[in-house]
Amino acid sequence: MSHTRTYLPAVVLFVAAIVVWELFVQLFDIQQFLLPAPSVIGRAFADNFGRLVSIGWFTTKEALGGLLIGCTAGIGVALITARWTIASETMMPFAIAANSVPILAFAPIVNNWFGVDNPLSKMVIVAVIVFFPMMINTVRGLTLVDANALEMMRSFATSDFRIVWHLRIPNAMPYIFNAFKVVVPLSMIGAVVSEYFGGNRSALGIFITQEAAQFRFANAWAGIIIACIVGITLYAVVLVAERLIIPWHSSVRKQTT
Amino acid sequence: MEAVPVVSFDNVDKIFNRGGADETVALKSINLDIRPSEFISIIGPSGCGKSTLLRLVGDLIAPSAGTVTVNGKEAHQARLDHDYGMVFQQPVLFDWRTIQRNVELPLEVYGFDKAERQQRARELLQMVELGGFENHRPWQLSGGMQQRVSIARALATAPKLLLMDEPFGALDEMTRERMNMELHAIWRQTDTTVIFVTHSISEAVFLSNRVIVMSARPGRIMQIVDIDLPIPRGEHTRQDPALFEAERAVREWLRKAEAFSA
Ligand SMILES: Nc1ncnc2c1ncn2[C@@H]1O[C@H](COP(=O)(O)OP(=O)(O)OP(=O)(O)O)[C@@H](O)[C@H]1O
Ligand SMILES: [Mg+2]
Repeated sequence: MSHTRTYLPAVVLFVAAIVVWELFVQLFDIQQFLLPAPSVIGRAFADNFGRLVSIGWFTTKEALGGLLIGCTAGIGVALITARWTIASETMMPFAIAANSVPILAFAPIVNNWFGVDNPLSKMVIVAVIVFFPMMINTVRGLTLVDANALEMMRSFATSDFRIVWHLRIPNAMPYIFNAFKVVVPLSMIGAVVSEYFGGNRSALGIFITQEAAQFRFANAWAGIIIACIVGITLYAVVLVAERLIIPWHSSVRKQTT
Repeated sequence: MEAVPVVSFDNVDKIFNRGGADETVALKSINLDIRPSEFISIIGPSGCGKSTLLRLVGDLIAPSAGTVTVNGKEAHQARLDHDYGMVFQQPVLFDWRTIQRNVELPLEVYGFDKAERQQRARELLQMVELGGFENHRPWQLSGGMQQRVSIARALATAPKLLLMDEPFGALDEMTRERMNMELHAIWRQTDTTVIFVTHSISEAVFLSNRVIVMSARPGRIMQIVDIDLPIPRGEHTRQDPALFEAERAVREWLRKAEAFSA
């Protein structure tokens, strides 16, 4: 009941936008290479569905691989350095600086290092992109702990490990989920865009550039839509996981009205 | 021969941010012996160093001068030996744990087995009148209820020394009186030593063997008032003229302390 009410405006807005887009293209007779009509993109999507799914999956695997490597490393480094506050404090400015480097600019070079056809070259780019936001947020979550809570753990005279386990890690969970919400869309952008600089023929980024180069713009748009669907799906997975794993946090608490 | 004091302050000073522009002399020349099984209250104006005094006993901060001894050892060693339980001025509950599991936390840390700690936590929650709230989360409870959870948590390990920082400050008068009776019963049944910080004169007098009146800036012990009311205390105590006499004495010293601080 309440779900329909929550999502209804968004659905209406989405449908309205599609209708306006369609009318806009039809009425003003917009050229295909500028903007194809949704109906045309829809047809291209249906015609190439099998192919789109397989190349979409290929690129999704690159994004997921990069996420796995980058997030594991980011959380791991944060856990190791948070143990020594001084280490993480010296590292943070560098991490924040590194985070503002446009890592995608290195894509052609990384393609060279690992071989342009090797999915690993894309995973490495994605991993580096997601590493810094994940690490920075996790360090924050592990260190921005209520001083009273630390004092209480101290009164229990317990080990550093137990303080990390009972206090710092739970405290960091909401920060980690916020990082995931940022890096999951980034991972898909990273994978597709680094494919623009060359890669396996069965990859989404290559498909989009080649179709566009051959003036099959509706196909290129269909590829973009696949990328959007994957991005949104991964984001939804993060939201569901957040609800399941940290139901106690204020951002996901069930309202008892 | 005098018994070994449970807590002993020997010429203790506590200065925060020494040498800085915001240097604060929180405590000055504190000398105090607390006897075994004593119930001692600390009362004084806000900022006079009551919490600081408790935190020194708990080795949560170190003295700037002098020594704090707990059970005949350094406060540091006593903390490592789990010699005390503490109720903090804020409830400090973990949102990621249910009420029951918040109470179990110290038992879990100390390595008690699961069945035992669940049993113990349930009993204590009953005692602080929170039976039925085991599976609630901290944010679903009122401030006074949260503070009672933190009392249950401090009692979980059955400490021989209980440090309580304004534990009943957030309670209504009736609940507070019931909690006072509970605490009094626990104190009599177990031979626990209690150091109890409060702003309430009547609560301090009702519960204590001695009431320490402190003055502020710098925090000093102004006077120690002996409360010679018969134990156990109960409804009859509230009618006892000696109670009013003791309250009057504490109030007078508190007034002097305020004047001294101003
Ligand atoms: N960590 C700290 N750093 C600096 N100053 C502190 C610190 N803790 C306490 N103080 C100062 O020490 C003094 C005593 O503080 P304390 O918390 O012990 O007061 P209190 O008697 O418990 O007051 P209240 O009744 O308001 O709780 C205050 O002036 C306070 O500003
Ligand atoms: Mg205080």
